[in-house]
This record gives sequence, C-alpha cells and structure tokens, in this order.
Amino acid sequence: MNYIPHTDAHISKMLTTIDCRTVDDLVPEQVPRAARLNLGEPMSEMDVASYIESLAAKNIQTKCFAGGGSYDHYIPSAISHIVLRGEFLTAYTPYQAEASQGMLQALYEYQSYICLLTGMDVSNASLYDGASALAEAVLLAHSHTKRRGVFVDVGLNPAYLQVLRTYCEGADIFISDTINNDVACIIQQTPAFDGSIRDPTHMAEKAHRNGSLFISCISDPTSLAIMRPPGEAGADIVTGEGQSFGIPKSFGGPCLGFMAVKSTLTKKLPGRIVGATQDESGRRGFVLTLQAREQFIRRERATSNITTNQTLLALSATIYLALLGRTGLRSVAHTSYRRAHRLQQMLHTRGFRIMTPGPFYNEFLVETPRPVTDILEHLRQWDILGGVAVDDHRLLVCCTEKNTIPDVETYARGASMQ
Amino acid sequence: MIAQDHDTPGNLIFDYDQANTGHIQTDEDDIKDQFPKRDYLPLPDVSEMQVIRHYTRLSRKNYGIDTGIYPLGSCTMKYNPRVNEDMARLPGFAGIHPHAPLSHAQGALEVMWDLQEALKEITGMDAFSLQPAAGSQGELLGVMIAKRYFADMGERRTRIIIPDSAHGTNPATAATCRFQTVTVHSDERGNMDLDGFRNAIGDDVAVVMITNPNTLGFYEEHLQEITELSRKHGTLLYCDGANMNAMLGISKPAEQGFDMMHLNLHKTFSTPHGGGGPGGGALGVRSFLEEYLPVPRVVKRDSGPTFDLDYDYDKSIGRIHSFYGNFGIMLRALTYIKSWGSDIVNVSEAALLNANYLLGLIRDIFDVPYDRPCAHEFVVSTRRFGEKSALNMAKRMIDYGFHPPTIYFPLIVKEALMIEPTETESKETLDRLAGVLAAIAREAERDPSMLDGTPHTAATGRLDEVMAARHLDLRWRPPKE
Repeated sequence: MNYIPHTDAHISKMLTTIDCRTVDDLVPEQVPRAARLNLGEPMSEMDVASYIESLAAKNIQTKCFAGGGSYDHYIPSAISHIVLRGEFLTAYTPYQAEASQGMLQALYEYQSYICLLTGMDVSNASLYDGASALAEAVLLAHSHTKRRGVFVDVGLNPAYLQVLRTYCEGADIFISDTINNDVACIIQQTPAFDGSIRDPTHMAEKAHRNGSLFISCISDPTSLAIMRPPGEAGADIVTGEGQSFGIPKSFGGPCLGFMAVKSTLTKKLPGRIVGATQDESGRRGFVLTLQAREQFIRRERATSNITTNQTLLALSATIYLALLGRTGLRSVAHTSYRRAHRLQQMLHTRGFRIMTPGPFYNEFLVETPRPVTDILEHLRQWDILGGVAVDDHRLLVCCTEKNTIPDVETYARGASMQ
Repeated sequence: MIAQDHDTPGNLIFDYDQANTGHIQTDEDDIKDQFPKRDYLPLPDVSEMQVIRHYTRLSRKNYGIDTGIYPLGSCTMKYNPRVNEDMARLPGFAGIHPHAPLSHAQGALEVMWDLQEALKEITGMDAFSLQPAAGSQGELLGVMIAKRYFADMGERRTRIIIPDSAHGTNPATAATCRFQTVTVHSDERGNMDLDGFRNAIGDDVAVVMITNPNTLGFYEEHLQEITELSRKHGTLLYCDGANMNAMLGISKPAEQGFDMMHLNLHKTFSTPHGGGGPGGGALGVRSFLEEYLPVPRVVKRDSGPTFDLDYDYDKSIGRIHSFYGNFGIMLRALTYIKSWGSDIVNVSEAALLNANYLLGLIRDIFDVPYDRPCAHEFVVSTRRFGEKSALNMAKRMIDYGFHPPTIYFPLIVKEALMIEPTETESKETLDRLAGVLAAIAREAERDPSMLDGTPHTAATGRLDEVMAARHLDLRWRPPKE
C-alpha cells in the first residue's frame, strides 16, 4: 500500500521549490545514515489483511468465564458505529476547543457519568488503565499529604500491586505493612480480587483518623449499579478499570483507567479535565481546563507526566452508559450477579470449596477438588474459558450477562468431570 | 467545515431522560445478600435512536484528519488507514481475554513478537517492551529503568539533562522519579548548546533526554559530541522518539548513540489518535538494559506452543500495565508496518519533503527563527503581527476550515506556530494551507482586531478559558428533588 499522494511530477516540482536535488540533502551530514531496512516486501491491502487474518485465526475464542480485571460484558452494536466516525476517531487532544466541541462535550458527559456512578465530585477525562490509575492516585496522595507510605488492604488485584510497586520504586514511595503516621493513603479494592464486596466505611474512617487519604479501587464497575457508591462511604479517591463499559477485551488493551476525587483534591488530579464555559455571545461550550496542573505548562512541577490518555475509550464508555441507562445497567449487574451466584451454588454442591468470604458480585474464588489445570483443560473441551488460575488449586470464576443459563450448567458439568 | 450547531440549547445526554429503552426491569428482591446497596442509580434512560442522534450531532462539531489537514506539530496527524481498524476489530483479536491460555492466544503473541522485531529493525535497539500505554508512560518506564540501573551499580545519580526545547513530559517524568532537571539552552542553530551541555554534564547525571529531531523540527547536530561526553561520565542517553516520523529508514537512534528510546506508535505508525488516545509507547533499549524491561515478556520457544509469556527475569523493573499494553494499538501499528515493508523509508522522505515545501511557501509571511532546512516539522513565529497573534491566527484558521497547528510551543520561540503537515497530505492541500495562512496574514496586516473573537463559523465562538478555570463546572448534576 502507499499512503503518499505525490506523483513523480509533484515531487520534482516540490524539490525545485525548495531548491533541493534530493530529500537526502535536507538531512545534515552529522546524522548517520541507516542501511536499507529489512522489513519485507510492501503488501497490498488485500495481502496484509489476509496475513493479519491468518494470525487472528491462530487465536481460539471460547465462552468466557474469566475476569480478574477484564470482563466479558456484551457490547452494544451502536458503540462502534459512533466511535468509528472519523470526526472522533481521527481527532487528537482537543487543544483547539472551538474545533473540538463534540469530543469535549462527550468527555464532560463521561466525567459526569463517572461521578454519578462513584458518588464523587470530580472526574478526570481518563487514564491508561486500572493499574496505572491506582498508581497515579498514590502519587496524588503522596503529593497531598507529603507522606511516603502506602497501606494496601488484602484483596488488591496482584497485577495492580505489581504495577504499584514499580511506580513506588520510581517515586521513592514505599508499601507499608502497618497504618502509621507516614502512610499517605490506604487502598482497598471492591469488589476485591476474590470477588467479595467490601464495605469501605470502616477502612475509610481508619484512614481519616490517621490523616491519610482513602482510595477505593473498583474492579468491574458495572457493580456500581447496585453497590453503594464509594463516595458515600467516605472515599477520597476512586479509581478503576472501565473496560466493562463497552470496550473489547482485546487481549488486555487498550482499556480505560478512571479516577474521581472529592472536590478538595480537584487541583491535584492528573491528566486532562474538561470544563464548561461560554463564548462571547453566552453560548455554552467546553474546554480543557485547569491546564496549569499539566506537564506542557508546569513541566517538572506538573501533577503527572501523562499526556495522551484513552479518550476514544472514554467515548465508548459514555455511549455504553447512555445506551444502557439506569434500567439497562442495573439489568447487566443483576444478571451478572445472579448467574455468578447460580454457578457458585452448582460448583459448591459438586465439591468445590468456596473461598470468597461473605457477599460477592460476579466473581468468586474456589478451591478445586482436582488441579486447576485439569479442570481448565476439561472445560476447554466444552469450549469454555473456565476462569483465572490463581495457583494450582484455586480458580477465580466470573460470570456476566453473556453467560447463559445453559452455559452455566455446562460449566458446572464440565468442571466436575473426572 | 465544522458544522454549525442548529440545536438550541445544545442538549447534554442527561437532558433526554425517561425513554422506554426496552431493557429488562430488575427486581429489587433478586439480591438477598447483605451488603451496602445503592438506593437510586441516577443515569438517564435514553432511547437508542436518540443516543445515536446525540453523538452523531456531537461528531459534526468535531474536526479530525478525515475532515481535513490537521497540522498539529509534534503530533504526526497522518492519515489512518481503515484496514488497520478492521484488523483490530477482528473477533479473533478483539474477543481474546488476557487470561486466555497461551495456546489459545498464539496469534496475539505473534503480533507482539513481530512488532517487537520490526521496531528493533527500525530503531537499531536490541529489545523492546510494548507495555507502555503512551509515549509518556514509555518515558516514565525508561527513567525508572535508568534509576534501577544506577542503583544496581551502587551509584547515586540525581540529575537529568533536558534541553529547553523538550516536550513538558520529559521534565515531568524526571520529577516523577525524583530526579532534578537541568535545562540546557538551545544554540543559534536550534541544537542543544554544546558549551551549556559541557557545563551541565557530570558524574551525577543519570540521563540525557533528547528529542531527535527536536521540537523545533531540527536534527540534533551535536549528537556525536554529546554521546562521547555522556559515555565518559557513564550517563545514559535517552531518545524521545515522538518525532520518529522523520527517521524511518533514514537513521537509527541506536546508531546515533542512544541507549534507550520510546516510540509513539500512534504517531509514527498511524494508529488513530482517537481525540486524545489510546496511544502506544513502546520502549526500546540496548542489550545491557534488556534485563530490566517489564514482565511479562513475549518470547519465542523451540518446543511446545511457539510463543510464550516469560515472567522469569530477576532484574525486571516489574510491570507497568494491568496486562500487556495496548494490544489493539500494536495490531494497527503492525498492519501499517507490514503494508509498507522496507519501503517505509518513503514515509519519512515524504514527511521531510512536505514540511520543507510548506516552510518554503510561507517563510516570507512569518519570522523563521532558525535558517536551516527542517525535518518533518517546523516552527515559525507570528510576532510581527503582535501579541496573541499566534492564538488569533490559529482561531481564524478554523473559519477557513483548517485545523490550527500547535501554538506557543516550543516555549523558546515567541508567538510560535509549530506545523507538521505529515507525508499523507498532497501538494495541492499544502498549497491551499499556505494560501490560507497568507490570507490570514493579510487580514492581520490590514486590521489585527479583525481576528479577535474568531472563529466566527465554528460550533461556538472563542471560548472563555479563564472563566472555565475560575468557575469550575466539570460535570452535570441531577436536579434536586
């Protein structure tokens, strides 16, 4: 393929205009020239598509009972029809507000949805993913409290903990085993990695008594349709992964980090924020605001180094939430909840030990009567991805509204076969 | 042209409440478990058709590459081939769960492997991590690795050298990792000033971060000296690869002396910018830093399933993504690179030609701060038209149906317009853009006040940013019962 429109005649005319013989004359002699790259022959669109399709054919898709940070909720058709519109798809960060009102308004709506779901005051316009959103929240807490410790409650997604450790090492922050007066924040995930729903009230009070911020990390945010919003339970910062909201699993990325805070922390937020304003004739419009927090103005004193975020996915999430509305989102949450509870019951009666204590949402941990690998292998024969293997004998199982009752029954049968 | 807003007032999605959406009503008694529940979910129920109309209307108030040239400097707004979108949406990729057994994800791992190999060939680096979700996260990873590397060597280095033309992310990244930033000024040719660099470099400097070509649009001419001095002090050389669109097949950063670099997959390899993301920020390193790259790493085995994820690297920095990075973006980048093959050098050559041609057409209209050929982008100053002229001229461009360039950046040029046409724009489009800039310059000469308050034909007039920041309105709130 060739995405350069010039004919040879154009090229020679342009070279003449700039008084050059070849393009190479434009590159200073100090720049070492590369040998011709070895990247194969160019391919036509037809050939490249068939090559990439052949790679896709090497993947095997099955019915999905896996969660652990990526959830198989149904994606309404309307979403891709809107996000593929070139005006959205091929724009960039809306620095020029008057030419970007569509995306800016959509992001304002996104921020509003995140606030409504989390019960918080202010949301930014997205971050990379759930894990780095949590790490950014810790950087925020450190900058706000000037303390260097982080206390992590049990139940945090282990991958998020690994990302947090990496960021902490870079930023000279440490993970503390106790809640002491050097702790900037306490982190609690709900639903926790084992699926259990936590009541954040107790931990939030503990954090506040200690002068620390309380960070609530949400795994599958469809749970917010039925759980009490963390903002009402005293959270100072809520972060999470928004992939559940109309974004394909796509082997783990791109996904959508979200972050919302109490209004007192607004000016410490990382990333873009959209605000409403007016033009000279009083018409409402939207702009990127509070930009003095950001790297391109504040440089080494910025609240974060983040620049490009996940805007198009924030748009997907916004359209998802608009299409589902209160009724649809509650229906997704209720169905996911009911299917997961039904499967848990069925596995329980088939000799699986339930490891998730107390109430859970759509994920639960079981101790398997036989090695996890055997069970996953059996389920694969039934065209089922059986969950996330936590270790040799523990399996994390997830249901969404896409897992039909016959599928749930097949799962229970398949998992209990010797 | 940007569509006019004929709807008054412009509704928010929240203004459409109370439709029958056809979703199944839930029964509150379904959930017997005791946990703190939500009383009321304050989301509007909007019909599907209204949702489609609402966001279609919004899309018409937005400008993208598909609407016209988008010469935003440093952002590489080239055409995004649609086949890449179709490939990323193939169910065989979009439907794969990140915890799928690797025997079911061989195609996905092969995509990652192939992309890493291609990026190694393009940059000369020895190993890549595809985990960073954007260029700035790639930078952050690079500086974290540098920090760990020196800690392993038992060295305490506290400073990072950054030229004054650098993107703001460079100093912000250095500060996130608790390094002190040392700024080196640019010389009269727009290179990093060598005397300034000599004064700044020392045994306590961990990293020198250089964007090449730099944000003025110039290849750094002193790299050889900078590399030699850095090596002498054991300092690592980092390349901000935001401007790699000027170097494909022309020059390899590893051969220029760089030890590590990030690539912005969305810029150089034409994945759609999506209104501000998602991007991709692959980090490449030379072999002595390879063991620090994040886990898991994609490896190729001789037996069993060919491709595997390997977590077993003692010195690895850990992980920086929930899963493996922005896989969908990697897939689009690979499709793009495979389309071009070895001919990808044509991309950079045409990008250089377009930028220099456009500069040639408009150099007499504006002030050109440095008199030398540019790479893939250039910076001119509108200072002869007075204060705020860059802003006013940019807004006026919207009236002519053109997206403005980057303005007031780099900070070292007053009233800067930073223009990157990219290789996918035709000569005809560049001629028209030059014509519009000339027309606006004539307007500004006749009566500068004419540009105040522009644009006049966009979805809104000039928006009040000061008001937005003073009277914060960052979300919709439900009306009080």
